[in-house]
Amino acid sequence: MSATSYSSKVDVKARERALKVLHEKFYVVLKDILEGRPPKLVIKKRTLSNTIYEPERKLLLLGESVFERSLLDLREAKKFMQTLLMASIIYEALSNSEYPTIRDLYYRGKHTIRYRKLPSKNVGEENTWDEQSESDSVLRDIEVFTNVLREEMLILSKEKGKVVGDLKIRSGDDIIDLSKMGHGAYSIEPTPDLIDFIEVNAEFVLVVEKDAVFQQLHRAGFWRSYRAVLITSAGQPDRATRRFVRRLSEELKLPVYVISDSDPYGFYIYSVFKTGSITLSYESERLATPSARFLGVMMTDIFGSNKLNKKPYLTEEERRNFIIRAKERDIKRARELKEYPWFKSERWRIELDEFLERRVKLEIEALAGKGLKFLADKYIPDKIGIGDWIE
Amino acid sequence: MAVSEESFKSISPAEFFYKNKEIAGFSNPARALYQTVRELVENSLDATENHGILPIIKVSIRELEVVSEGAYYEVVVEDNGVGIPPRYVPQAFAQLLFSSKYILRQSRGMFGLGAKMAVLYAQITTGHPAEVVVAPIKSKHVCSFKLKIDIRENKPVILGFTTTSNISGKHGTVVRLVTLGDWTRSRQRVYEYLRRTAVIAPYAEIAFRDPEGNYLLFERSIDKLPPPAREALPHPHGIDIETMKSVLKSIAEKHVVEGLVESFQGIGRTTAIRILEEANIDLEKKAGELTDLEIETLVRVMKSYRDIKPPRANHLSYLGEEIIVAGLKKIFEPEFTTAITRRPSVYEGQAFIVEVGVAYGGKVPVTEKPLILRYANKIPLLYDEGIDVVYKVLDEKRGIDFKVYEIEFPAPLVILTHICSTKIPYRGVGKEAVADVPEIESEIESALREVLRKLRLYIQHKRRELEEIEKAVAIAKYIPEISESLYRVYKVDIRDTSTKLLELLNSRLKSFKISSLSSVVM
Ligand SMILES: Nc1ncnc2c1ncn2[C@@H]1O[C@H](COP(=O)(O)OP(=O)(O)OP(=O)(O)O)[C@@H](O)[C@H]1O
Ligand SMILES: [Mg+2]
Repeated sequence: MSATSYSSKVDVKARERALKVLHEKFYVVLKDILEGRPPKLVIKKRTLSNTIYEPERKLLLLGESVFERSLLDLREAKKFMQTLLMASIIYEALSNSEYPTIRDLYYRGKHTIRYRKLPSKNVGEENTWDEQSESDSVLRDIEVFTNVLREEMLILSKEKGKVVGDLKIRSGDDIIDLSKMGHGAYSIEPTPDLIDFIEVNAEFVLVVEKDAVFQQLHRAGFWRSYRAVLITSAGQPDRATRRFVRRLSEELKLPVYVISDSDPYGFYIYSVFKTGSITLSYESERLATPSARFLGVMMTDIFGSNKLNKKPYLTEEERRNFIIRAKERDIKRARELKEYPWFKSERWRIELDEFLERRVKLEIEALAGKGLKFLADKYIPDKIGIGDWIE
Repeated sequence: MAVSEESFKSISPAEFFYKNKEIAGFSNPARALYQTVRELVENSLDATENHGILPIIKVSIRELEVVSEGAYYEVVVEDNGVGIPPRYVPQAFAQLLFSSKYILRQSRGMFGLGAKMAVLYAQITTGHPAEVVVAPIKSKHVCSFKLKIDIRENKPVILGFTTTSNISGKHGTVVRLVTLGDWTRSRQRVYEYLRRTAVIAPYAEIAFRDPEGNYLLFERSIDKLPPPAREALPHPHGIDIETMKSVLKSIAEKHVVEGLVESFQGIGRTTAIRILEEANIDLEKKAGELTDLEIETLVRVMKSYRDIKPPRANHLSYLGEEIIVAGLKKIFEPEFTTAITRRPSVYEGQAFIVEVGVAYGGKVPVTEKPLILRYANKIPLLYDEGIDVVYKVLDEKRGIDFKVYEIEFPAPLVILTHICSTKIPYRGVGKEAVADVPEIESEIESALREVLRKLRLYIQHKRRELEEIEKAVAIAKYIPEISESLYRVYKVDIRDTSTKLLELLNSRLKSFKISSLSSVVM
């Protein structure tokens, strides 16, 4: 049996579905051409103004407004070509049982069009696309247009999410015990939907934004002592990590806690897990975890709060050592957050106002700096115990 | 102290122009060579086209002997014109201020000087006589003259005369001069002069052999001659006392009423009577009987008399749009040419017509300023452009702003201006610049704006067309890519899809179609 002809059963089913949808959805183009109409694609807009927050479901979703991408429209002609090109190479990869990465798709589609400028007849050269950002952008359009996400089209992206904990999963045809990863961790596969949960022995999920803090908690045996599934997104969460967390929450009914830096960027990372991101709002429905809780680090953890009748976790002197002065862009970002509907709760207002008033921030590493024991055995368990999180 | 007494004497016109050669354009050997060619060619053109003959003109310059100031050149100009009656040849070529063109009729010649200045300059620089061979139309003889000018007396001296029978039946004139020149320094001007003449006279065939042995032929590109100039009666508004006196002298025996009716444009019996009454002149008088005072009053009344039709212009010989366009096309091979002939207008009692042409793009050289070709009565004006009326209209600061017409320099633009009139207000007898008479200036400006508006339309149209072509290519270049993509998914024939897409694209284009995809995508 050769390596390439091997394919797990789940994959085969996913492929068939994606092929079918692509074939059906893009048929409008061929139909237009055969019937003598200028071909066009009608796609939902991926703009901020078409990103809608649904308070009941606590999700950031794509609105209903659409745009037309027509070949005969000079501004859209190239994108039209790129969209079809991308769709066709995905289609081909699916039929050939391949697992391209987005970088592969970029290279496969990239070549030079040589043409004659008229009336001069000078030769012009143009690439189908130059930057990967161009091919990525049409890929997103295809996801929106077909309502099939890249994972479902078996496109891989570079993944940085990692997980450890007392649980067994099936990935492909292997069973992996996530409690036997040594000092390493299982890196969450790009198609988390194809994972099966076999055995789970955990009470909650802790998502740590910073990889370094994840490693410290792992070595300290945090997940074993507290029966947690420990996950890091290593910065901005990628899609696979978000989907994986969502499945832990939805299918295993585990509560999810997120800890990040105490600054507007950290707060936003939490909200991406919870509600979805603005640029990729079309995926929220499958990727967001609306029940995720923000555990910290809160501004009120640092300074305490009279309003909340809350004592600070840091002493006056520790504060002086650990906090950093906020930059102008942090301030600006905080003001933006205050305007997002999903940050418009009383609890978040207190945190953001505190930040805007103090104009300082704190990295999680600083808490680990106070002592790993403090972080692992006091701060986190205490906060979970007394319910000091933001919903 | 003894006061020296002024001595008085008169000099002949020949002596005057001998001493003041530069006012006729003969200031140095280089300029003289150019001016010689010019005067002779212009006489040849007058002798042909004014008489309905399509001109064939041969010009040759040959170097004979190098001297310190330059070299002696033999200049020969031959035409197929009407020729000159042999009895007038000596005066026509060797007596200054003798002309057949001292009548109110548009022609290149005007002063009765040109040929004589060339002969005079040749004579005083090289000592050679002028040789003139004439065969008037239908003449049985061909007459050859060798002539010099008696400068003191301003009289022709005939050094030789022979006649042979005109076997071939040709007609025309050949003039041969040996003159001092400087070819190296006049080469460019001579060529430029001939080229510009060819622009305005595409109906002429002009051949030129230069001293270096180069041969240049401007072929005829249009068989149409401009309407011939006809003699006109003077217009009352253009009259002055001296002209009036000579008019009256020629009709001395007639009654003054009939005399005026007969001798002027726009005066009928009633008008004549009113004018005379207003001037307090006895209607019974004969033309020859008016006193100086009466003549003065008559001139004053006539000049300011309102109720007269403006001067007629149907006697003027303008080029017309067709000839201007043909000339510009022939010499510049532009992509766009247009011209307009304005309606006649009047300055100081003289009718005049302004014509302007433009040539744009194609092989027209791209320059920082428009290339201006000035003409007056079909003569190219090459020197003294700075003081010409046309330059006032085109003045960079106060004149026409080309940006308004969507022309940004450097640009490939030629502008041709032509003024024709029974009397051109030249700034000198060298005929190189026209004075800035307000009426002429405003006509030139209007004409120029009119053609520039047409040019702007063309430029706009072309721009739109170019934009459409660019758009078409910008879309067409993606077609093969799209067809291949569709093939990957639906296995539909690539050529079929491409053909359909191209048809679709073409059906949306207005001014342009892509003939085949292979003409765009490689
Ligand atoms: N090639 C020619 N064919 C026929 N007649 C000619 C030719 N050359 C000269 N003439 C006659 O000789 C006359 C004198 O010529 P000339 O050039 O001296 O003066 P012009 O042409 O009348 O005026 P201008 O001084 O303005 O040139 C002309 O008026 C014309 O009648
Ligand atoms: Mg002359």
